Amino acid sequence: MRYIRTAALLGAVALTITACSGSDGGSGGGSGEATGATGPITIWLSNNEQEVVWGQDVVDAWNADHPDEQVTAQEIPAGSSSEEAITAAITAGTAPCLVYNISSAAVPGWVRQGGLVDLTTFDGGADYLTERGGDGVSVYETDGGYYQLPWKSNPVMVMYNKALFAQAGLDPENPGMATFDEFLAGAQQIVDSGAAPSAIWPSPTNDFFQPWFDFYPVYLAETGGTALVEDGKATFDDEAGTAVADFWASIYADGLAPQEEATDDAMVSGQTAMQMAGPWAIASYKDSVDVGFMPVPTSDGREDVTTFADSKNVSMFTSCENQGTAWEFLKYSTSEESDGALLEATGQMPLRQDLAATYPDYFAAHPEYEVFADQAARTGDVPSIPNSIEVWQAFREAYTSAVIFQSTSVDDFLSTAASKIDDLVQG
Amino acid sequence: MRRRRGGAVLRQVLLTLAALVFAFPFYFMVVGAFQESPTNTPDRLVPTSGWTTQNFAQIDARIDLAGSLVNSLVFTAGVLLGTIVLGTLAGYAVARLRYPGRRLTWVLMLLVQMVPFQLLMIPLYVQITRGYGLGDTYLGMILPFAINTTAVFIFAQFFGALPREMFEAARIDGAGELRILRSIALPLVRPALATVVLVTFIGPWNEFLWPFLITKDASLQPLAVSLANYISNVSQTAANPNGAILAGACALAFPVVVLFCVFQRYFRTTDLGSAVKG
Amino acid sequence: MSTVTAGAGAAPGAGPGAGSGRAPAPAPLGPGRRRWWGGQPLGTLFAAPYLVFVLVVFAYPLGFSAYMAFHDYFFTAPGVEVPKPFVGFDNFATVLTDPQVLASFRNTAVFLVINVPLTVGLALVLASALNAGVRWAAAYRVAYYVPYLTASVSLVGVWMLLFSSNGLVNSVLGPLAPDPSWLANKALAMPTIALYVTWKQLGFYVLLYLAALQNVPRELYESAETDGAGGFQRFLNVTVPGVRAATTLVLVLAIITGTNLFTEPYLLTGGGGPDGASVTPVLLIYQRGIQQQNPDVAAAIGMVLVVVVGLLSLAAQRLNRER
Repeated sequence: MRYIRTAALLGAVALTITACSGSDGGSGGGSGEATGATGPITIWLSNNEQEVVWGQDVVDAWNADHPDEQVTAQEIPAGSSSEEAITAAITAGTAPCLVYNISSAAVPGWVRQGGLVDLTTFDGGADYLTERGGDGVSVYETDGGYYQLPWKSNPVMVMYNKALFAQAGLDPENPGMATFDEFLAGAQQIVDSGAAPSAIWPSPTNDFFQPWFDFYPVYLAETGGTALVEDGKATFDDEAGTAVADFWASIYADGLAPQEEATDDAMVSGQTAMQMAGPWAIASYKDSVDVGFMPVPTSDGREDVTTFADSKNVSMFTSCENQGTAWEFLKYSTSEESDGALLEATGQMPLRQDLAATYPDYFAAHPEYEVFADQAARTGDVPSIPNSIEVWQAFREAYTSAVIFQSTSVDDFLSTAASKIDDLVQG
Repeated sequence: MRRRRGGAVLRQVLLTLAALVFAFPFYFMVVGAFQESPTNTPDRLVPTSGWTTQNFAQIDARIDLAGSLVNSLVFTAGVLLGTIVLGTLAGYAVARLRYPGRRLTWVLMLLVQMVPFQLLMIPLYVQITRGYGLGDTYLGMILPFAINTTAVFIFAQFFGALPREMFEAARIDGAGELRILRSIALPLVRPALATVVLVTFIGPWNEFLWPFLITKDASLQPLAVSLANYISNVSQTAANPNGAILAGACALAFPVVVLFCVFQRYFRTTDLGSAVKG
Repeated sequence: MSTVTAGAGAAPGAGPGAGSGRAPAPAPLGPGRRRWWGGQPLGTLFAAPYLVFVLVVFAYPLGFSAYMAFHDYFFTAPGVEVPKPFVGFDNFATVLTDPQVLASFRNTAVFLVINVPLTVGLALVLASALNAGVRWAAAYRVAYYVPYLTASVSLVGVWMLLFSSNGLVNSVLGPLAPDPSWLANKALAMPTIALYVTWKQLGFYVLLYLAALQNVPRELYESAETDGAGGFQRFLNVTVPGVRAATTLVLVLAIITGTNLFTEPYLLTGGGGPDGASVTPVLLIYQRGIQQQNPDVAAAIGMVLVVVVGLLSLAAQRLNRER
């Protein structure tokens, strides 16, 4: 006992000593002198298999012409989300030069950390952004700067397994599931017919980004593009929000979606008949499942629905030593040619003006992507707000207990989540 | 007499049942790793067909199995080296030498055992990556585990149990402390080493969180980290993700199990008495 | 292999166990070679690397953690300075009123209530059975110890498959399978994790008890038998009191393991799911600190956890000693 007490005392002393000296010890040096520097750089790509192949091709082509400015690519060393890996890397100063998988939701936090480079500080930076992306890029502005290059989007639609739909007695070419009621009826038919044990399988985990693939696309569709937070206030505590939350709650209550995480790809194993997915899925599933796509449902089954853009952007990090090279490579890898290669390899939609007109051959040769090119014109994204990740996390936790597990009521969820998010946004 | 034999049979049955429960998941893991699709039903538990090595190829295509194994080995070897060299010295000092700060050493050893490592993780991360600039290095990975406190306990216990007369005789002969350590204590330390190696080895080999935080460069990540990344991200898009996960699990588990089976006869339970944290 | 019996005098728990609170093994004094400070100043040199190590990777981060908990701390990129004002107990107030933090401590309690008695009971029973002398004892030892040696990351993958809703366990149970399945069931997620950890760690505790049992004098069993005590009575009256010190050690270690769960909820239940039913304090430290960029709140959770672990360990020692 004596030793424990001594130990505790000692610990307390150590605490006091170090508490007084506890500071960062970070060394100075902004990004100023680095903007022109050239030399080898490292970039991170997402875990999508086709995207990794595209990235490696672009890097190889660049490296062949730039022996003194070699680029090394690797997949994001992600845990459960790439954001946590990047946040940790910024803190440590071990972030790469460029990351090709930036979600707008995380950008405000990283800007606050001082981790991102404002791309308009490069010569011609602002022009390059607007030239490539058009006027629409202004939604990607943070604190008056552009800390991300809007790169590509994956407009979310409902992907379905045509064979399972046919087996369930649904028309695989035109399932007629545009309204909430039709969708629920169709989903019920899939499960009742025994075609698949579940109709749709969104991930039921509490990750902050999961709403982007269940609640949020449907909410954007239902409201015609209202973001989760607008003008510093949560928007979803209203009729539209209730309708969407009730819709998903019915899916879980009727046993149409599992409450557990899939251990494998549920589409491939036939455990489910539908998933929310973007055009990346066409390339991913081309050898395994015959998939079709339909717009996300709305209460009235309207035409021309809006959906979630699921855009992924490129950011440059302040820890990058050779920012000159990084900027040149960024332009190279988002050129018309590289974007075309990205489209070809992954089917994901580059965020540039006049997509269909720029790559007419591609869309003529791949009619299955046309629905996405069309959908890409009507998308909403995550709002650029303070404490963005915390906001989504708070939303997700409340959603999980009310909608997925029905342990609280939908009305409670909407009102408490809305007031909590209002507090977070106002800081 | 009958009762005693009945008891023996009962004991044997109990132990065998328990052993089956312990071994079954490993059986499942090994069989599943070589199957085209791991089974979910009991009747296919002893498969006769569907054997494949594809799972290992598949996981190797996304994570560098060999490279990760090497990283795990470097990480583990660094920790073993630090623990054996510096831990022996500390253990010897604390058990056999009287010096200012001996008490402090003991108190710290106890305290280290009581405060869980995970609590220190975030400040340690900032300190090691920012303060020392050791992010993405082997050294940064090794540092927090460099001297295993449990091993220091084991060494201290070992040296403390050596007969005092040996040391006294040497001192009477005029041997210096360094000499005593070199020619008397160290040659005898071998039996404790097996225990220390086993207790220390599993820490870094199996550690996930710390190397996961400290290495952002995939080419430096140990196997436990790459495998966890594979499980949580990549596996969902693989054709036979479950088979691939089991294959990766085998690759990670195999070296430890072999090491233990080889060394287990040197591994004495009595040494473990002081191995408090493992 | 050797003539020296390593650690012969080291009864488990009687050694410098985890906070067992006993005095360290006496360091035998050198025979009168006392110098002006200490006796063998070389010891300072030998112990110095370890002391430095502990200060660097233990004391300093602990202090830093406390510093963060009392400030509005925020991670920045190297070279970027933002104000980090002192905020007193604000972070602690945030933590102690956060329903998720409270839930994580409740989940830990559920875990401990299942895991600790199961661990102590099963480990002692298996160790006594092994100690009574059976065939294939070495093989049993290997079987029990292997899960402990194997990385959680590997085993989690196996358990996920076994316990998924159409996994092997459920197909054996048939209609008795729980719905929703084990890891997706709010009432069963934490108990399943507790079972998993019991299974994984048990081998280590069996070996601890085995070591302790070797120090229980044979004569006690013999005299108990002469008094006509049955096998069960001997277990209760001789074995259990005989390994009390080891039990304290097992209790403390099981508590520390239980309060430090991270890998299991992170990988097995997809980040503390379902619906936060398996969130643990360490998982929250990670989520708040790294994912949500609130290291100050994370540090406050850590401080609370240290206190809880300390109190629980003390309670375990007290309880076991007085009975």
